[in-house]
Amino acid sequence: MRTLQSQSTDIYTDYVRDWKEKGGKVLGYACVATPVELIEAAGILPYRIKAFGHPDTELGDAYLARFNCRFCRSCLQLGLEGTYDFLDGLIETNGCDHLRGMFENWQYVKKYEFFHYLKVPHFLREDSLDYFTEEIQLMRRAMAEHFGTEISDDKLREAVDAYDEVFDRLKRLYALREKVPPVISGAEVMRLICTGSSMMAGDFSALLDEVLAEKEKAQPIPYKARLMIMGSATDEVDLIEDIESGGALIAADALCYGSRSFWRREGESGDPARLLAERYLGNLFCPRMFTEYDKRRDYILDTARRADVDGAIITYNKFCDLHGVEAVSLRMDLEKAGIPVLVLEKDYGSKADTGRIKTRVQAFLERLGK
Amino acid sequence: MAGREVKEYEALVNRVAGIFGLLKYFPDDMSDEEVEGVLHILPADMATTIGAVMAPRIRRVSIAFLKGFQQWLDGALTAKAQGKKIILVPFNFPPEFVYCFKNAHPLTSEVLTVAGVASLEGQGERYWDFAMGLGLPDYLCSANTIELGSALTQADFEPDAVISAAPGSCDANSKIHEFVARYLGVPQFLLDKPVDDSPRGRRAYRTYFRSLVREVEEFLGEELDEDRMREVLTLANEATRLYYDLWELRKVRPNPCPNIFTLYAYGIRYTLWGTEAATRVLRLMLETVKERLSKGMYPSREEVARCFWIYTYYYWDWYGFFNRMEERGITVLGDLLGSFFFQPVDTSTKESMIDGLADTCWDYAMTRQVGAESMSAQWLEDISYWTSQLDADACVYCGHHSCKQTWSVFSLVRGEIMKRAKLPTLMLQGDSWIRRMTPMSALDEQIDEFVATVLKRKRTTLARQVG
Repeated sequence: MRTLQSQSTDIYTDYVRDWKEKGGKVLGYACVATPVELIEAAGILPYRIKAFGHPDTELGDAYLARFNCRFCRSCLQLGLEGTYDFLDGLIETNGCDHLRGMFENWQYVKKYEFFHYLKVPHFLREDSLDYFTEEIQLMRRAMAEHFGTEISDDKLREAVDAYDEVFDRLKRLYALREKVPPVISGAEVMRLICTGSSMMAGDFSALLDEVLAEKEKAQPIPYKARLMIMGSATDEVDLIEDIESGGALIAADALCYGSRSFWRREGESGDPARLLAERYLGNLFCPRMFTEYDKRRDYILDTARRADVDGAIITYNKFCDLHGVEAVSLRMDLEKAGIPVLVLEKDYGSKADTGRIKTRVQAFLERLGK
Repeated sequence: MAGREVKEYEALVNRVAGIFGLLKYFPDDMSDEEVEGVLHILPADMATTIGAVMAPRIRRVSIAFLKGFQQWLDGALTAKAQGKKIILVPFNFPPEFVYCFKNAHPLTSEVLTVAGVASLEGQGERYWDFAMGLGLPDYLCSANTIELGSALTQADFEPDAVISAAPGSCDANSKIHEFVARYLGVPQFLLDKPVDDSPRGRRAYRTYFRSLVREVEEFLGEELDEDRMREVLTLANEATRLYYDLWELRKVRPNPCPNIFTLYAYGIRYTLWGTEAATRVLRLMLETVKERLSKGMYPSREEVARCFWIYTYYYWDWYGFFNRMEERGITVLGDLLGSFFFQPVDTSTKESMIDGLADTCWDYAMTRQVGAESMSAQWLEDISYWTSQLDADACVYCGHHSCKQTWSVFSLVRGEIMKRAKLPTLMLQGDSWIRRMTPMSALDEQIDEFVATVLKRKRTTLARQVG
């Protein structure tokens, strides 16, 4: 865990450096709607773009605007200043309006030779599944043509199996986190997931095995209250550390750099492209998906009950329309279910916010009587 | 329940309907004395709007437009009383689709907001505040949140269903409509725009549109009737033809089309397309513009600058925005919300009409540009077309806070407009439907400075080059 901690908030990790030095290709993506199995099946390292709370956004601001989410501006900043120059291409998805703008500007400036736009429908229905299946086939063809690699059905199935193994291990890790008393903190889990999101599945599974072996014997962590956190895209390990520093243990999450990226990956088709379409579009727990609020709410309530939390934090980045609106419905439904809620609108990566956030969490703990 | 804080008569649609109900009793034209008399008895915020629209050069058309609007609103009240369903649509959805059903009437969220902002004392602020009070974020779009904020009070005239055509092109719009449908417990029908410019994307969109048709038919218990569709869409086609005739006249220097007519044209597009009322107002507008052209009429001594607004206008001070601007020689050529690419719908069969409606949705303002595969590329292409067609001198971006998609590519688009068309773009910042953010005086100052420096310099440089 010690090596992991020092590496897990680096963009260009030792693992990626090593991969590149061996001649491996790396493709960047940003949204959990991207079927990473497809990239892995092409023998390419899927790299989920992160900013790790990077606070500077001068270049990002010159292209995006102050009315765009700062997470996207921070990622764009890193992209434009060259931090992501090790990427061999980008996969764009229409996750949200800010993300679309981020990718358009990034590609406008950097002009990657390989830039593919995977278009993800906003609802789940037979006709949208058909469309998304075709989209997956188009992405498959584009990668195969550009990188001169064959992505056979067998390779795809292997990749699906490899990710299923990762997901099984992550669920075991989450069980340790949800345990009373817990043996792993919320910040440690986020570090792991961020680290794994730029590793090949087999290697991530091996790392998870090591962590599980260590954590299964670890001492319980002291805490005042068990909380669940949910909301918009954030890889801010610091934020979770700040929240936990006052005794609020994050025992469960519904974040897309968290459980939403792996918890459910159901699908039944025998055709691997269709299977991926089902696994992703059918299990995309994101407010970008319309008509599926009940599914998301139930998923959150189930998680909260399973982890036996004392309260929930709904957090979102300023200017995030999707989560900003969803937060209202969620707050109402969680409170109706007897779960106290702290809604925390924040600016991504802003150190100036640290004190305010800590104070609000402290007040929330007092409200919970902890 | 928070909803009880607002009484029925205080809610937006109910108030607007009450005010506009009086328009029935207005003559088709009014003398200056009559206008003066009306202005004396109106509350200040409404008097500003009425003062603007009753300027003699636009008065007859304004009265016709307002009466058309009253008819639309009255249609909703009557329809509800007759047991018909009221379908709330966003501005980027053709109302003629709803008119194709015998048992439904469309109401357009953003148009209701504009009506509230323009006619109510205190504009739409209290409804916005109500929405904020529920915890909705303050960076949502006031265009829909003001009207929907009033709906959320549960004291207002309620829709029976909501259609949302914004998934794919605007998160803010789609999410607030989704939230309101859930909150009110009414069904919502979705039309997702694939961000895919290929023929496959268009095919998928037509498939999605057909699903929407089936869902609405089921909800209304009424199948689309081919004859009724043809009747409605023939009228819609006629309105489209008149719209393009008007567009042609806007190309002339100095512009014979008063600034506010551009708003009227799309006000009609978003409410009455497919009805006799739409063609009636458009015809009158066209006649008026032709007459002004023949007489060489322009509200100022010279047309100093022709500006195309590349996204939206500001809607909370019609006099300041439309009238005073043209009185200073600044022509508002149009904006994205009112500049269309519609083709007449082929009315030969039911299938061709459904496809035609789907294509209309595809090309609707906002959907077409920021719902495209590349927001910047499509927006830029359309701006280039409009500005060259209308012989624009410059572009203006209103910088409505909530438009995250346009904000996200504005910098890129502005640079490319300059590079390709040599057109400077002024970037403003403000809220298009709430006056609290940036005052008209500040906007005026920036526009005047832009015209006086950037445009003047551009003209001088060009003159030197020609010389």
